Amino acid sequence: MPLDRRAADAVVWLLLLTMPFWLNWIGGYTALGTRVVVLALAAMSLNFLLGFTGVLSFGHAAYFGLGVYGLGLTIKYLVPSSLAGMALGVIAGTLAAMILGMLIVRLRGIYFAMVTIAFGQVFYFIAYRWNDVTGGDDGLSGWRRLPVDLGFARIDILNSDSALYYWSLFWFAVAVAIMAALLHSPFGRTLLAIRENERRARFLGIPIDRHIWLSWVISCGFVSLSGTLYALLNNFADPHDLRWDQSGDFVIMAVLGGMRNFWGPLIGAAIYVVLQDYISSQTENWMSFIGLLFVLVVMFFPRGLLGMLRRRAAP
Amino acid sequence: MTNKILRDMLDRRTVIKAAAAAGVAQVAAPFVISARAADTVKMGLDDPLTGTYAELGRNEQIGCELAIDEINAKGGILARKVELLVEDSTSADTGTAVQKARKLIERDKVDFLLGNVNSAMALATGEVSNELKTFHIVTGGHTDAVTGTDCHWNVFRVCNTTRMETNSVAQTLFTKYGKKWYFITPDYAFGHTLQQGFEVFLKAHGGIETGASLAPLGATDYSSYLIKAQSTNPDVIIFLTAGQDAVSSLKQAVQFGLDKRFHIAGAQQELEVLEGLPPDARIGTWVFEWYWNQPNIKGLPEFIAAIRKRNGGKVPTARHWFGYTAAWTCALVANETKSLDAVKMAKALEGFTLPPEIALMPNKTYYRAGDHQLMPTLYVGHAVAQGAKDPEDLFVVDQLVKGDEAALPVAETGCHVKWPA
Repeated sequence: MPLDRRAADAVVWLLLLTMPFWLNWIGGYTALGTRVVVLALAAMSLNFLLGFTGVLSFGHAAYFGLGVYGLGLTIKYLVPSSLAGMALGVIAGTLAAMILGMLIVRLRGIYFAMVTIAFGQVFYFIAYRWNDVTGGDDGLSGWRRLPVDLGFARIDILNSDSALYYWSLFWFAVAVAIMAALLHSPFGRTLLAIRENERRARFLGIPIDRHIWLSWVISCGFVSLSGTLYALLNNFADPHDLRWDQSGDFVIMAVLGGMRNFWGPLIGAAIYVVLQDYISSQTENWMSFIGLLFVLVVMFFPRGLLGMLRRRAAP
Repeated sequence: MTNKILRDMLDRRTVIKAAAAAGVAQVAAPFVISARAADTVKMGLDDPLTGTYAELGRNEQIGCELAIDEINAKGGILARKVELLVEDSTSADTGTAVQKARKLIERDKVDFLLGNVNSAMALATGEVSNELKTFHIVTGGHTDAVTGTDCHWNVFRVCNTTRMETNSVAQTLFTKYGKKWYFITPDYAFGHTLQQGFEVFLKAHGGIETGASLAPLGATDYSSYLIKAQSTNPDVIIFLTAGQDAVSSLKQAVQFGLDKRFHIAGAQQELEVLEGLPPDARIGTWVFEWYWNQPNIKGLPEFIAAIRKRNGGKVPTARHWFGYTAAWTCALVANETKSLDAVKMAKALEGFTLPPEIALMPNKTYYRAGDHQLMPTLYVGHAVAQGAKDPEDLFVVDQLVKGDEAALPVAETGCHVKWPA
């Protein structure tokens, strides 16, 4: 690994680890940092598929939302435990992705994107219409995140903002480390080969569909993990979390930051969340600014903001 | 030579970068200097300013602003000036609404939280304010749970529950128009709750439900539901549709001539919606939560004049009244307890009666102890195509219903308030 990349990694981790200390100082608040980390994990998971396998999904919100509802329903109806909720949320999202993935990995390009939207909307309408269980349009309320009891230690994510932030950051780090390790493995290299030239990879004897399916499942699994963290942050599950426009937000974050870059979606999510938080307090037309930024990035820096910096740094 | 050096130093990229940095600094600077005057009392309004509910949220904001100007003119809260901070919760993304509630409470340190129009957001921000022990008045989310199963010691509500709305209008429909009803219900939580409310009433009073059609949200063609409705020969067809769905369904009902043969009715109606309907679709019996054209109410002419001034000449709607009353409630209860302590204020507000010039309603208007629901007057009446004297007088009040007669008793709401130790 080149030195400058290692330095960049160190800076990113340092900033993330110290976020609660400097964020309040520059006028933010800890929950904002948690939101950045959680949505960044979602965008980075999407980017595992989009940026490193070359397949565009517009339905990731479905698996994000399965994580959200998985956690909420577990705590409300089954076991009052944040950890059990997270586990069931991730299992629900990953299982759904495994089954539906088999139906959609044969498709490519726009057809792949369309079918992911269609399956995503199925989950949205289930949450929206099944009033007795999901609360329908009113959302799933009447439950709350609970402190995590590890046996030897108790993490009070309920009453301490910082504890919740570091709890989210811990899972973010685990997920990101696994994704980075996978990308550096032969499996990851094969995904890159598929992205660069699918036909050539197929001629090399690589089982393309199985690789895309695996990449899809991994990506959706981590997105549902971020969904469970999002539910912990909000203490609420909302059908909007499953809707296609939430998927669109993840794509915007990934593209904004740079989808060929590992840290790109983190930057994209940070920009998106902070811009929304700040500009929407100044004007109700805040979406125009995000839209304008998105258009500018796509037109002038198609590889995203980080992609632009990287290209300049390259010899 | 100098030119070349200068050009090297100031190449295009450097200039662009400098410009970009200057731009970022412009945006970032107020972010850094965000500390506000500490001696003001802050109210935070977390309401939709974009999307479907933007107009309703904006109207609540206008009501709050008027109230705050009046409060400041009369000496403020605990002799301190009051400041209103407004955040856009969006109309659909509850995650953003929750984030904005945290921002207002944790960063801006507001003493009072107000909002939200959207029921899901009212519930979700209620969780946040409860967790952070902040006094909260829900301005416009009607779902029963806010002052029912999900009630909190710190959360009060000025608008009605869906059950109060259905109960108030049901009595009039039943005695005046007949006991056989057909429902056209939008297929989502709000529509289902309204229909359930009516059904409970029918059952208790021995009425008959001739049938019900669940129409998908955003349906444009209601002909099949309307044909089915008339085939069951009800006395009343109840439309629970809202927004654009109300426009489509009511227009088609008129085209089918249903309004000539059956009585058309519904539950909650708002002036904003009636103004958006074409004149021939302004039909039916409805309930308003507040109406501007009322006789002999102390302070009402002044209120209408003040809102007209801020609202482009238009009269106040129920939404203006929600914002106005909610903000004034905060000031009244803080000044009465001489404290900004959330627990003290919440305890004092239980059973608190609003003075007539704030209530702007004919009957006693008070916050009920036990579930923290405001007991206002409900205005049952019918829509008219054209206003008699004022173009905005699109509703004629036929009957006033007292809130405590329309509401479920506290014991049946499912609310058990747990006070902090």
